[in-house]
Amino acid sequence: MKKQDKKENISRRKFMALAGGAASFAAISALGMPIEWASNELEVDIDTLGVDKLSTDVLVIGSGMAGLFAAVKAHDAGAKVLMVSKGRLGASGQTPFAKGIFAYDPENEIVGIDEFVEKVSFSAIGTNNKAYTRQLAEHSLARVNELREWGFFNSSLYNKSFSKPIEERNIPVHERVTITHLIKEDESVVGAAGFSIDEQKVLFYEAKSVILCTGAGGVKPNGFPICDLTHDGTIMAYNIGAKVTGKEWNDGHPGKSENPAACYDGWGDMFEQKPSTTRIEIRHDLGVEANYMAYANGNPLKMGPPGASKNSAGNNGKNDGPQRPEGLVLSDDGPPGGGEKDGNRPPKGEGRRPPKGGDGAPPGMGGGIVGGSSAGMAIHKSEGLVPINDKCESNIPGLYAAGDALGSYMSGAIYTQIGSSLAGSAVQGGVAGEAAAAYCKNIKSISISKSKMKELKAEILAPMKREAGYSPAWVTQTLQGIMIPNFVLYIKKKSMLKGALAYIEELRDHHMPMLKAANFHELRLAHETANMIISAEMKLKASLMRTESRCSHYRLDYPDMDNENWQAWINIQKGEDGSMQFEKQPFGQWPNEAV
Amino acid sequence: MAIESINGCIGCEECIKSCPTDVLRLNPDSKKAEILYPEDCQICHLCRMYCPVDAITISPEKTIPVIVSWG
Repeated sequence: MKKQDKKENISRRKFMALAGGAASFAAISALGMPIEWASNELEVDIDTLGVDKLSTDVLVIGSGMAGLFAAVKAHDAGAKVLMVSKGRLGASGQTPFAKGIFAYDPENEIVGIDEFVEKVSFSAIGTNNKAYTRQLAEHSLARVNELREWGFFNSSLYNKSFSKPIEERNIPVHERVTITHLIKEDESVVGAAGFSIDEQKVLFYEAKSVILCTGAGGVKPNGFPICDLTHDGTIMAYNIGAKVTGKEWNDGHPGKSENPAACYDGWGDMFEQKPSTTRIEIRHDLGVEANYMAYANGNPLKMGPPGASKNSAGNNGKNDGPQRPEGLVLSDDGPPGGGEKDGNRPPKGEGRRPPKGGDGAPPGMGGGIVGGSSAGMAIHKSEGLVPINDKCESNIPGLYAAGDALGSYMSGAIYTQIGSSLAGSAVQGGVAGEAAAAYCKNIKSISISKSKMKELKAEILAPMKREAGYSPAWVTQTLQGIMIPNFVLYIKKKSMLKGALAYIEELRDHHMPMLKAANFHELRLAHETANMIISAEMKLKASLMRTESRCSHYRLDYPDMDNENWQAWINIQKGEDGSMQFEKQPFGQWPNEAV
Repeated sequence: MAIESINGCIGCEECIKSCPTDVLRLNPDSKKAEILYPEDCQICHLCRMYCPVDAITISPEKTIPVIVSWG
């Protein structure tokens, strides 16, 4: 059958079903309407696609800062390691754009570790997990020194320095491989599955342990380099029963009104700068204060110094807007909401661009400031898998996570220590790598059953097998239209959260099962889109549940902090009936201690 | 829009590997990089920065194709 014939036939069949018969079809066709709009013009012969199965002790998924240290430390602890990445080593996720890395050097800091942890907890209003805050400080200098040895601080591009320790250890790295499924047998993780864009193959990885270094994600917003981050690890883990946390929090990075899609231009030449270290500097940034100002006064934002927003955002002034710690004093060298890319703010001194005066733009950002550039993402390390201990271990035996894929609450639910995001990923990667290697020593053998492989292959390729359906691009745009509005995602209230949830549930139930893909690029988009839909459902439901305001979560209908009921994190888990289940985990406790 | 042009490509594939969103591919005939999925470009410039011969020109402007109403 010629391509055009096939197109017409599929469309005719589908359209007749939709339009209710030949008469309707003829009528619409006569009007000149295109009839191939929903058909899937497959560019790949899926019947002849190859399948590979590989085995390792520790599978590291993701190749940013967390993945680097997870692979290196697991190898050095005696495990056979394989790294797989949707992108490229050192050049995907947020790592390539992070330029500041925190190094706590006890020789050069007046503040001791205990005091550092307390200061972070104060700024984070109790939302941080002190064990992970402490671990960050204790391990950061050692990781930074290793990075220095590998040449990390000598180039703005990280692929070369990341490749050095990986190549020295002969750790195989499979790049441009999208992992779509984690595999569990007898309650433990036994591997993962996905596909290679370049080899056009379905891939199975048998592994005694898996470390998710998959970052967090967003809804592919304009102005922030996270369009390859779609909560893949979190949703894969949720699907096999892992607990997930932090979905009610927001990252409040602003964007700019001029060329809003241009991430590079938005940050001036910061992406071209070499990285450098940061020292103790604890802030209370990147929450939703700017979003509140925009809600009250409109865009673009008229920026004042941090803290000014409480009394300057319109309304009546008194205690308006997001909750800050009582008595918080901040330096005034940045706009509310930070504006400077997370720990990725160029440190003071060499390489730091002077703030531009006048327009209130953060350093390096031109044009007026608008909110929502990182929409769909929470504060670094506040969302992701729930750790059951300080070893980055999840509730699924053998499954670990590190960096932004782990809901460690290292910094809390607000941005606190400058440069901690990159440092925390390095630290947690190392911790997870060693823990996973130790776990493997007690695992004799694992295998993925043939029936499981058959089932997963069908699920992975399903979007390609559909003759018609919905394009990932269209579903993504629809999702963005539902989630990104300031009055849904940031300035929350029950009616809008419920309204948005009704739309998201429609996408989940009707459109997600009909996502189509004509090639491997679209296959990746289809799986990413599905992950974003489930994450959106989590965000809306967790936001509805948290009936208070704290840090980067703001409810217009519950503007106050509720310390009686909400000194707790929200965990999400897939119930046995497939429904999304929620529980509270009190601050300062591990999940097995939760009520 | 976004990645505008590639001139003087030597076919090393650095840009293809470094693109976080799979915008670029190697043309099987010319053996040079081509812009295949510009609508997914996040204008992060990693491709340009990794290109060893400065072949890539990027615009800060971005438009995406109009999408049909129902999918």
